[in-house]
Amino acid sequence: MINAKRRKLALFYCQNVPESREKDRQALEEVYSETISFFPMPCSGRVEPVHLLRALEEFADAAYVIACPDGACRNFEGNLRAKKRIERTKSIIESIGLERERVGLMVCSKENPRPLAVLAREIMDRVLSLGPSPALGPEALDDEEKGI
Amino acid sequence: MITGEQKPVEEIRRMIAPYKRILVLGCGSCVAECASGGEKETAMLASALRMAARMNDEDVVIEEMTLDRQCVMEFVIQLDKVIDPYDAVLSLGCGAGVQAVADMYPEVPIIPGLNTEFLGETKAQGVWAETCLGCGDCMLYDFGGICPLARCSKQILNGPCGGSVDGRCEVNPDIPCAWQLIIDRLDKFGTLDRLEEIYPPKDWSTKQGGGPRKIIREDQQK
Repeated sequence: MINAKRRKLALFYCQNVPESREKDRQALEEVYSETISFFPMPCSGRVEPVHLLRALEEFADAAYVIACPDGACRNFEGNLRAKKRIERTKSIIESIGLERERVGLMVCSKENPRPLAVLAREIMDRVLSLGPSPALGPEALDDEEKGI
Repeated sequence: MITGEQKPVEEIRRMIAPYKRILVLGCGSCVAECASGGEKETAMLASALRMAARMNDEDVVIEEMTLDRQCVMEFVIQLDKVIDPYDAVLSLGCGAGVQAVADMYPEVPIIPGLNTEFLGETKAQGVWAETCLGCGDCMLYDFGGICPLARCSKQILNGPCGGSVDGRCEVNPDIPCAWQLIIDRLDKFGTLDRLEEIYPPKDWSTKQGGGPRKIIREDQQK
């Protein structure tokens, strides 16, 4: 059985996403304190594969990035760079036998911009379906998941 | 700049399999510029290897460090303070770096994590191209600054071959015809007459004719 409380998501997001100001993040952290670690960035182009890999190595079952839609990046191409780096990270984790879906990109919609809270919930639902990450080792599982 | 590309993780894991304590060693010079063995790439590879080890229930310690240069003794010597606990070093330096580290620490296996590729230049972000063979007898003056040995697919010294189309190479249309570039450059500087000379076959004795090369400068020595 999947224990939602035990799943951890590292969520890197562009601060130009709707309702992603500091107070919004603090409010979300109260709700998701055990399951999501929020990493605000001035632009999704700031994310590097090493950030995502470190998160997967140290605590996260999945690492996701929320970026602005194509053509809407304030820094012109930050979101495009993020996309390429996420692809690179996917191929790295695939090469060690980890599912590509443990790293992902969520692009906001230009027509229907949704707030950070909604996007975070949607990503968390995806992560729950993945189950525990084998890259975190057996210590990351609770007794129920270990079958004890 | 010396360019390189990381070996597949599977190959790296096979090479490090016999060891329990491994230092992943990056190099902050050429291979950092070509994004294959710098600090960032070292951190990424070490992370991936640690995760792979955990997933396969392997009891290993994998740590990381990056030197400014692996091919210069004065930088390599920094390993003196840290190398003792490790069974092996996985080097992300070029072939010269791997061997320089191995020379200094003959008791420790130094494993190459990169395939060293060529001497080249950064053409654009994420694009590196070979422009020099390091032949030991530079002919760039004769050819307007474009090396026909490194950049012509047929290595023709008395070109062009006549096969290029719209300035692109017939062997590989992704690259410009080196001889088109040579003629354009010489023409621009009014020195096309240099091509009236017939160049004999390249004398490769200055490259590897006498085995591995060495430069000795007494004025630079202690």
